[in-house]
Amino acid sequence: MNQDTPFEESNWVLYKDRPSWRDIEPLSQNDGSSAIVQIAYSEKFRDVFDYFRAVLFKDEKSERSFKLTEDAISLNPSNYTVWYFRRVLLQALKKDLHKELIYVQSIIEDNPKNYQVWHHRQVIVDWLRDTSEEKQLTEAVLKVDPKNYHAWQHRQWVLEEFGIWEGEIEFVEQLLEDDIRNNSAWNHRWFCISRTSSGELMEDVLMKELKYVLDCIKKVPSNESSWNYLHGILEERGLTKYPFIWEFCEELYSEGCRSPYLLAFMVDYLEAKGEESSDNLLSVQRAIEICNALAIQHDKIRAEYWKFMARNLGKKYEASPNCSD
Amino acid sequence: MAASECVELHGRRDDDDEVIFLKDKCIRYFKRCLQVLPERFSSLDVTRLTVAFFAISGLDLLDAIDAIKDEKEKIIEWIYSYQVLPDKIESNRSRCGFRGSSAVGAPPSMGKPENAHPYDSGHIAMTYSALSTLLVLGDDLSRVDKKAIIQGVEALQQPDGSFCPLIDGAEKDMRFIYCAACICYILQDWGEIDKEKIVKFIQKCINYDGGIAQVPGAESHGGSIFCAVAALSLIDQLQTAFSPSQINKLRWWCLKRQDSGFQGRPNKPVDTCYSFWVGASLTLLDYYHFVDTQQNIAFILSTQDDIAGGLAKWPDVVPDPLHTYLGIGGLSLAGKEGVLPIHPGLNISKRAVDHLKHIHNQWGVASNIYS
Ligand SMILES: [Zn+2]
Repeated sequence: MNQDTPFEESNWVLYKDRPSWRDIEPLSQNDGSSAIVQIAYSEKFRDVFDYFRAVLFKDEKSERSFKLTEDAISLNPSNYTVWYFRRVLLQALKKDLHKELIYVQSIIEDNPKNYQVWHHRQVIVDWLRDTSEEKQLTEAVLKVDPKNYHAWQHRQWVLEEFGIWEGEIEFVEQLLEDDIRNNSAWNHRWFCISRTSSGELMEDVLMKELKYVLDCIKKVPSNESSWNYLHGILEERGLTKYPFIWEFCEELYSEGCRSPYLLAFMVDYLEAKGEESSDNLLSVQRAIEICNALAIQHDKIRAEYWKFMARNLGKKYEASPNCSD
Repeated sequence: MAASECVELHGRRDDDDEVIFLKDKCIRYFKRCLQVLPERFSSLDVTRLTVAFFAISGLDLLDAIDAIKDEKEKIIEWIYSYQVLPDKIESNRSRCGFRGSSAVGAPPSMGKPENAHPYDSGHIAMTYSALSTLLVLGDDLSRVDKKAIIQGVEALQQPDGSFCPLIDGAEKDMRFIYCAACICYILQDWGEIDKEKIVKFIQKCINYDGGIAQVPGAESHGGSIFCAVAALSLIDQLQTAFSPSQINKLRWWCLKRQDSGFQGRPNKPVDTCYSFWVGASLTLLDYYHFVDTQQNIAFILSTQDDIAGGLAKWPDVVPDPLHTYLGIGGLSLAGKEGVLPIHPGLNISKRAVDHLKHIHNQWGVASNIYS
């Protein structure tokens, strides 16, 4: 939040003491006789908002109202009415919207998780149809907090609305290089890949993605995000379509890897294999063994789930006509 | 710090290593929230009603609603004073609902105003909070202008099926679909709201990893999943909106969020509020029995403030009303003794939902999701 320095604070003149505001009667909050959840506002906060309420009630579309919204926003950027009134004023006073972008950027930098300020940004960008600053802005915010939901949402809106996809995969790869577990970056990778292909993923795109994600899994097999991504890109064609995926899993397994995500993937794969034909009973048996290992050792917090999965698979196995014992 | 001191500070008993839930301190914490919040909470200026909801529904879940017995009538008056009513010529119909505070400068509502304040309007999350709080307080909703409120909600539905929180423009996403569903469910009136479009929007938010995002394309998120799943349960389409494979993937996504307590997204730290958001989703999806409740409870209780009371998002962080409330909601789902059962869809006690059922009976409407 914008904190005034002590120096500025001491020079602050309350609106009620400003000659240029003498014609305005401040309007205080009126909770009637029964105020619940009161807030011990500072004198400055109360003063600024008393005058804000006054110009709002008069609907005074003036330069001084515009300046006042800035003070109100610095005290409480979550007040959506202030932002809305500011947009009304931007239009009524025909303000320079490029200047507004610079102003909003400074507020975003101080309040990167505030809904209202990101919404304001989107409206201004939409009015201007100018996206020249948006990639840089979101990049700067994501540098500080690479999982900031608002920044990602804003970036995705810009990409989709204006169709500017160049350089996105490189951007994602840089973020994943910084933190391979950044789930937001993985999601963004999916967003770009799926939004830039029409219909199914093309075989060459898919192969490139498979190679990338398998490399990432190899580096950190305990990373849920990359396993989720693998699942996601195989979805359309089925888990069992590419034998090299299974070979990759078996290799990891034989190297001693017991990441619960590897094991869970193997269960899904073996189950799918078991469903493909009744000759695959061994697959089902192996899946049950892995479920039990997950329950007992590798994913104990979900033990009840893995026991349930093992029981379910067991039922399937017994129900199979080829199994007489 | 010596290990024994550490143990003491976290409210552990020496004998059995079980953490004690400091219920009385939580009750006192909520009571303080209803009085005067310190200056650092000034950013809650426009959403004071949500703080009241957390505190009052929280007291109810702790079976301590009587702690505010003497203020009850006054609180009900205060909530109704925030109802934005249609003016004499109904010029503000699309703006009706409840405001979250008196910050905009409109006077307390008493009957239809002569002229509406030009910038006054309801906010869908505040309308939801107001109705829920009134129910918890045992009010019969007779002073709610049902028609105006439903018109206000109708005006907020977007062409893609999602909702904005207020008419003067704001972000649209899954959170407000949930608020809309709660309001319509409580009032048993869906007006012109397009439920099919709601379902379509939710389907568009389903992700490659099996989760659900706040808007199409965004990252799967425990909070968005709760809003989507609970909204579907309230419009009675949870069984039909997803394919069996989608339901199973969603269940699995939610179950994977447990790591002691719950996280909101993969590879993020656990946070008290997700014990409710994800826990309630798992309950609605009929998968809660796979949760390790012992570890979940232990995490929630590790975020207690042993001195001032209340729960925080993480251990050793200052508590806030939201995390205190949702942490208690998480304890309720886990069956912690001393906490009343919570309704996973409406996010209020089952006792308050029984009261709603009674109101619905009086209105002569019957709905199906009371359990
Ligand atoms: Zn939280």
